[in-house]
Amino acid sequence: MPLIILIFNGLLALVSLLNMYQAVAQVRILSQVQYSSFLQLYAFVVTLEFSLLMFIMPALTSGSISGERERQTLELLFTTKMTPSDIVTGKLFSAFGQLLVLVVSSFPVLFVTFVYGSVDFLDLGLLMVCYVTVAVFAGGIGVLFSSLMRRSTFSNVCTYGVLLLIAAGTLMLNLFLLNMSSMQIRNMVVPLGETRPVADSGGAVYLLLFNPVMTFCEILRGQVSGITENISLERFLGSRPDNFVTQNWVFVSIGLQIAVSLLLIWGAIRILNPIRNEKN
Amino acid sequence: MLRIRGLKKKFKNFQALNGLDMDVEEGALYGFVGPNGAGKTTAIRVITGLLKPDEGTVEIDGKDAFRFRMEVRDAFGYVPDEFGMYDNLKVGEYMEFFAACYGYTGLVARNRCMQLLEQMKLDDRADAFVDSLSRGMKQRLCLARAMIHDPKLLVLDEPTSGMDPRTRLEFKEVLKELCAEGKTILISSHILSELAQMCTDIGIIDAGRIVLAGSMSEILQKVNDSNPLHIRVLEGREQAVAFLQKDSRVKTISIEQGDITIQFHGNSRDEARLLEGLLAAGARVNAFMREQGDLESIFMQITNHDMERVVMRGEE
Repeated sequence: MPLIILIFNGLLALVSLLNMYQAVAQVRILSQVQYSSFLQLYAFVVTLEFSLLMFIMPALTSGSISGERERQTLELLFTTKMTPSDIVTGKLFSAFGQLLVLVVSSFPVLFVTFVYGSVDFLDLGLLMVCYVTVAVFAGGIGVLFSSLMRRSTFSNVCTYGVLLLIAAGTLMLNLFLLNMSSMQIRNMVVPLGETRPVADSGGAVYLLLFNPVMTFCEILRGQVSGITENISLERFLGSRPDNFVTQNWVFVSIGLQIAVSLLLIWGAIRILNPIRNEKN
Repeated sequence: MLRIRGLKKKFKNFQALNGLDMDVEEGALYGFVGPNGAGKTTAIRVITGLLKPDEGTVEIDGKDAFRFRMEVRDAFGYVPDEFGMYDNLKVGEYMEFFAACYGYTGLVARNRCMQLLEQMKLDDRADAFVDSLSRGMKQRLCLARAMIHDPKLLVLDEPTSGMDPRTRLEFKEVLKELCAEGKTILISSHILSELAQMCTDIGIIDAGRIVLAGSMSEILQKVNDSNPLHIRVLEGREQAVAFLQKDSRVKTISIEQGDITIQFHGNSRDEARLLEGLLAAGARVNAFMREQGDLESIFMQITNHDMERVVMRGEE
């Protein structure tokens, strides 16, 4: 673990140093400070951390319980004072703890942006909530499949498959529907004096509420302007009227994802109960 | 310590347990014997709470094992047939992990772990990785792990399978020591000779139910009482045979190379009386001995199965 922390933070520090060097060089040549470059550095670091949580958390959790089964230690744990919920939450916290060390250790690099302003503690707080949500969500999928499957390999494949379906699948579906809508509108004959409607991806946009990538992008878009424009919520919503969900997208999506995560964890605990899950 | 009544468990079309009744007294070293597929492991999985029976009750230390599942877990330690090891942990870490599973942490846990490692003669390997231990050492570590919470009952499922004779002997000594310390031990095995040497009580299971149970001496006495009696007579064989023919407890008489072999149903007192009668009848007897029975012979008689289903001494 110390080696991983060293490599991870070493890389981050190198990128931020290069970024600062570039900013200083720009001042020397153009006599102007481009503050956006510091925000880009911030965006880079937080995206890296988000990806780390989203893609390493499943790797740590999807083999956690099936691995116990393979080692034949799961039944030993069941004969101790540990309950299935202790085992599932223990596995989840253990994986989360490992990643949290990486995330927290990178804070000094992240705080470089504080020197130049524009990102405050509230923004960081919201980002932390998003981190916890994606970690619990991805970890929840991991432990569910790990409880369900006898082999870690199958559990790994299923976890990443479902995660990909949620993260990329819902996004692709919305992009596809948006393109279809654009085509229809382009071919539409608009009477004189009327404005051409704006394309949207229809009701499928609400599927993005379950997509942690979309939540992260929306948070980041609120903090760093001119970023993730291609997959912005506004684009998918088009000219649809605002409602409670669209107005509070980030909070609603975080709430929904936490609710789904809790369901996944509850499912894993139910499956793990040896008395309920006996194979006749 | 352990009381089982009417335990039934069916897996699809296979009746693994069919009304199992069993009593293990406190301080006993109880050998749970049966051929493969007799229901030993299923019974142990039910006792340890890993499997729910279709019918029946299990009481451990006077408590219903299903109603008081958590309380009962304090009363027993389980050693499965597979070790269940975390190879990437050190011996001390492995012990402390399981201590934490029972709620022991810090100095209390460390002291308890060291005490058990010393008892199992593994204290010098506390900093070694579990992976580096021999099979015998792993088994001792597994036993130490099962005792981390100081349970009254130890449940061991075929613990000596795959061990070499020396390691097996050492393990047997450890179990005897634990029994002498007051632990109740339930050990399942299909290696009969091994159990016969160390167990105080035995239960033979076949087709999901106990077919014979009792103390080792009682069972062996039952076997001996029905075994042939060998008599060597120096002089007066005719008188001896005539006397034996008159005794109603003598079922058969065969004479081979001067030796008389009889089927005699009776206990040690009856044997003594028979010998007195022979001498009184004028026979000069220089050898009078009951053929010694063993657990294997009674096991084969009771279970009435072919040799393939049970591992005998010669095959080990």
